[in-house]
Amino acid sequence: MERDKNKFSGGRKYSNREITVYWKPDACVHASYCYRELIEVFDPGRRPWVDLNGAVSDRIIEVVNMCPTEALTWKWNDEAKNRNVSIDQTNHINFRRPELVGQKEPVIHDNPVTVKVMTDGPVVIKGDFRFIYSNNDKEMKDGIISLCRCGQSGHQPFCDGTHRKTGFEDI
Amino acid sequence: MENNDNKNKGVIIEVIDDGPIKITGNFILKDLKRDLTDTPEEVYLCRCGRSSAKPYCDNSHKK
Repeated sequence: MERDKNKFSGGRKYSNREITVYWKPDACVHASYCYRELIEVFDPGRRPWVDLNGAVSDRIIEVVNMCPTEALTWKWNDEAKNRNVSIDQTNHINFRRPELVGQKEPVIHDNPVTVKVMTDGPVVIKGDFRFIYSNNDKEMKDGIISLCRCGQSGHQPFCDGTHRKTGFEDI
Repeated sequence: MENNDNKNKGVIIEVIDDGPIKITGNFILKDLKRDLTDTPEEVYLCRCGRSSAKPYCDNSHKK
């Protein structure tokens, strides 16, 4: 079956001739960069929702690198090329390889907390912060959360992607 | 770990029941649609989707 062929531990993978994109649904916070930037490739309303024939590899890589989590990562099909990918390409799958993680690790002191209001989508908050909701009070260290802004999520206060189905507009 | 003695004021994200998201401390607020980048000390963000002052809360949730 086509679907099984695309499976890997934790998700699915999609390839064209040059690259493979890995999709880990559990890591997704619905920040929605991918489909807003490149609906031709990342279309949540289509099955399979990723089609690497929709754009050139350079553009796909650019958009995968925008993913604020590791829900989307990528690598070259040619293993030799993967060795030359620098660590700052955060969503390259090599990023988590131990031998690369040790290399000039980015200094993350003074990492400012960023609060990003996504167009027609959630608010994505990254960094070190205290997070209080309902009866929870958590210290987040280098954390990332995505909070619903449309009021329709079934997983409040978090975004569950419902804004896309209800056509929430940022006006 | 005493790291709140710096000038860095810790950021608190508070989801108010049936209300907005309250954010205080040192943070960078970005709104991609409105091309806004700001560093307010306190902000209330709309969570009901009905505010006419998005991304901020305008108390529409009470109506």
